[in-house]
Amino acid sequence: MSNIAGKSYAMNVITPMRWYMTWINKLIFWIAQKFPSTLRGLVTLSLIHYARWVIIGRNQLPHLDKRQPKEDLHYSYMLFFSNFNGSWEQYVDSFTFSIPRGLDLFWKWNIRYPHSVPLTPFHKYIQYNQIETNHYYNATPLASSNDVKSAKKLKAALIEFDRKFNTAVPDQFLDQYNALLRNLQGDLGDMRPTPIVSMAAAAVSKRRFEDEKKLHQPNVNI
Amino acid sequence: MSNVSNNAYALTVLSPIKNDHIGELSYGDIVRNKLIEWDVDEGSPMAKVPQTYLARYFILDDVFSEALAGGDFWGTSYDILAFFSDKFRRRALPKIDQLKSRYLVFSSNFHGDLEIYLRGMWAVMQKEIKEVWGYCYAFDHVHDADTFIAYIKKCQLNAALFFVGSTDDSLEEQLKSLYLKQEFSKFAVEHQGLPAMELQKAYQAFIRRVEPTNLAGPSWKPGQSTLCK
Amino acid sequence: MTKVLDLHDIQGNIVRAYGRFGFPVARYIFLQIRDGDKGRAFVGAVTNKVTSAATWGVGPHPIPKPKVTTNIAFTYGGLKALGVPRESLRGFPPEFVMGMKKRKDILGDDGPSAPENWDSVWHQEVHVFVSFNGQSQEFIEQQCQWLLQLIDQSDGGVVLLRGHRGDDGSTDLPYQDAKIVFENGKPTSKEHFGYTDGIGDPVFEGLPDSVLNANGRGKPTADGGWEPLATGEFILGHFDEAHEYPPAPKPFLLSRNSTFMVYRKLHQNVGTFNAYLEEQGKLYPGGKELLAAKFVGRWRDNGAPLVSAPDVERKKIWDAKFAQATSQERDNMLSSWDYDKDPNGAKCPFSSHIRRINPRSSLEFGNKGAFDTPGALSNRRRIIRRGLPYGEVKDPDRDDGNHGIIIMMINADINRQFEFVQQQWINYGNDFKASNDRDIILGNHSKEFPSKAVLPVEPDSDQVPFFLKAIPRLVETRGGDYFFVPSITALCIIAEGTIDPT
Repeated sequence: MSNIAGKSYAMNVITPMRWYMTWINKLIFWIAQKFPSTLRGLVTLSLIHYARWVIIGRNQLPHLDKRQPKEDLHYSYMLFFSNFNGSWEQYVDSFTFSIPRGLDLFWKWNIRYPHSVPLTPFHKYIQYNQIETNHYYNATPLASSNDVKSAKKLKAALIEFDRKFNTAVPDQFLDQYNALLRNLQGDLGDMRPTPIVSMAAAAVSKRRFEDEKKLHQPNVNI
Repeated sequence: MSNVSNNAYALTVLSPIKNDHIGELSYGDIVRNKLIEWDVDEGSPMAKVPQTYLARYFILDDVFSEALAGGDFWGTSYDILAFFSDKFRRRALPKIDQLKSRYLVFSSNFHGDLEIYLRGMWAVMQKEIKEVWGYCYAFDHVHDADTFIAYIKKCQLNAALFFVGSTDDSLEEQLKSLYLKQEFSKFAVEHQGLPAMELQKAYQAFIRRVEPTNLAGPSWKPGQSTLCK
Repeated sequence: MTKVLDLHDIQGNIVRAYGRFGFPVARYIFLQIRDGDKGRAFVGAVTNKVTSAATWGVGPHPIPKPKVTTNIAFTYGGLKALGVPRESLRGFPPEFVMGMKKRKDILGDDGPSAPENWDSVWHQEVHVFVSFNGQSQEFIEQQCQWLLQLIDQSDGGVVLLRGHRGDDGSTDLPYQDAKIVFENGKPTSKEHFGYTDGIGDPVFEGLPDSVLNANGRGKPTADGGWEPLATGEFILGHFDEAHEYPPAPKPFLLSRNSTFMVYRKLHQNVGTFNAYLEEQGKLYPGGKELLAAKFVGRWRDNGAPLVSAPDVERKKIWDAKFAQATSQERDNMLSSWDYDKDPNGAKCPFSSHIRRINPRSSLEFGNKGAFDTPGALSNRRRIIRRGLPYGEVKDPDRDDGNHGIIIMMINADINRQFEFVQQQWINYGNDFKASNDRDIILGNHSKEFPSKAVLPVEPDSDQVPFFLKAIPRLVETRGGDYFFVPSITALCIIAEGTIDPT
């Protein structure tokens, strides 16, 4: 059970809101989707792979069978699922300081939301309403969001370069190769496994590794 | 639809779990245990599902009831009304909600079309799907890809906002790009300062080895957690 | 409204880098408390001589500049041994409770930097840190005699811990000595790799006017100016940048005006550094000194920042201006600049030391106004650095001499400030879009997975980015721990044993 898969951290937050306020959030989200420049801070922060907000009306939880009791809720709920690089503990300051207004805009209409500044109440609010992930899968655990984006740029540039200059005369090749390096100089970081996210996470990883080793050891007389 | 951002799709599924038990374990706990036991990274069953970027599962036992200090829209109004009757002070307290069923929550970020994705999922992890969804209401109607798709759609919730911070390229494209980034960075460092002809020869050999335009050629694998040697 | 701090209540080493105020030598002493009562009596006696942050020589009852300063700090184990109640102890942050040794995986203290390779003093339970900074070695020896007497009088209740490594292979010294580096008999502010050090201390509200120059040292504002940082980033009991009191143990009297300090002894592999610089300097188009500047972000000789003096020609111009400048102007030339004219790292690479430990407003990556303030991602990660070099380089071709730096980092929150910078910015590079590439000078480079760094060039030039290959580990951790630096008030109540957070 872990919120961590390689360089990505899975955050699940579920928060109640008054059912007659959900339209405000839906409107805000709609504006953000329509006018992406409103998310400039989030984009510049560059820590998120994918994130989504879901609003569940209090009568909208899936009801599939007459034997399933109907839900009877006072509140509607907002679900927030994010995949970001680093742990919440490490990066809460980065989120709060770079986009306090954005955070407030999205969560202000939820019950007892304390605003993103000062930090500690906001940090506590998110942790209070956070649910642990039971299984988290990441197709690219060795890559942060920055890595994925720079890889995209690099592939396109390399293919273009190769198409044009693979068989050029050596001097021209060298010139263009250097130009390629200049273009990609910010995309050549080496990818390795993530730094450990916390002592607890490292301990679980270690135990899992030990268990794996034991599973694959030849049977000694038991 | 807000579930879609260009070619990326946000699938959010909440499936109600039956309120029953096997021995001392409730269905909800059984499902959670199964999820926790699944292998991770390249060994995860989701690694077999084509086009999956990032996916997660958890059991929603209940919603949280708020008790921390925080803002409230009616806050000041209640405060003033409370002068007149204490029932307003009490009414200002957050209410306690309780779910009548537990829910299996499945959230996936993937590339492409929903039905193709679900078909792909059914094809490669039927065993695991039945292992966890088998304890949910109405899942007994599911016996093939079509009925699985219909079931998931009934459990699906729509995203109000889907933010894509990485790319919406196909998974093969992402993995190949990462492979090329890693290999080309190594190449650039190792061949620094070489004269033109030698560099070009080495480069041509490099391109032959890494096959940049061939997505089926050498690349990273889904969920790969260790470096290529 | 200008914030006023009670400088008499704050220990002097927090506010003042003694090395720059005429105290070229220091001695650091580590002790263990064996008996609570005797320990408290000892602390009480030392507290009488503790140097506060009060400005010397001013006011109606001026405090004369001391010949030697005295300061004291405690580990979690030390506070416990002194009888600080459990209720207070519980309020200390988990990383402080664990101590630096146990945090090695987070800090990247592996291989040669692993705790098993530290000076043997750190294999014992360190409780108390006492530091003397002297105007001369003679004054330090005198003060040390006084301390040894107090230890004697404690009759085994307080014990001096030996086990510091020193010159000529000695491993069991009673103290860690430190002193500024002399070049040709003249005192310098250099360290053993030859770099001018000690520039760019953070400036926060409440500092005495003499050091209240926020240009380049405080937080950047949207209009390109600078403001002092909030006091609470560095001292407990005052509002921090997040508009709240930093989390602190109870009672308030214990934490107000106190802070945390990270002590690290960093051995410098001088031989490896010189050889590597020589070898790479031959390959590097700009030459050896420019390359050395790229490692850190400042030129070795006078600390000229690469952002202002990115190559040999512009360095000459900078030097000429510096020579004519007033003291205030010099200060601004050294500190008051930002990275907005260097978005690609062509002047100061992303893996240069100073860009990693203080990115200023560069993490907005040119998207002005994207964040609430330009320094949004760096304001909460600033660290006050104190300390001095130790030892001497007798043979510049060897690593095994006794030479390095004692660095003491002061911050209100060890995990959010020091540990974050160490783990996310020094030993990792994602925030700089450099994947896992590390800080060239301080990174825990390994032989198994060779580290590299990219030295970028201007995109519209015809230069080629330079790759620094197989960077050797230039600095090794040889010891240290996390300490709590109490205010003078806190010292008094610790000594009296009257802390009661009920």
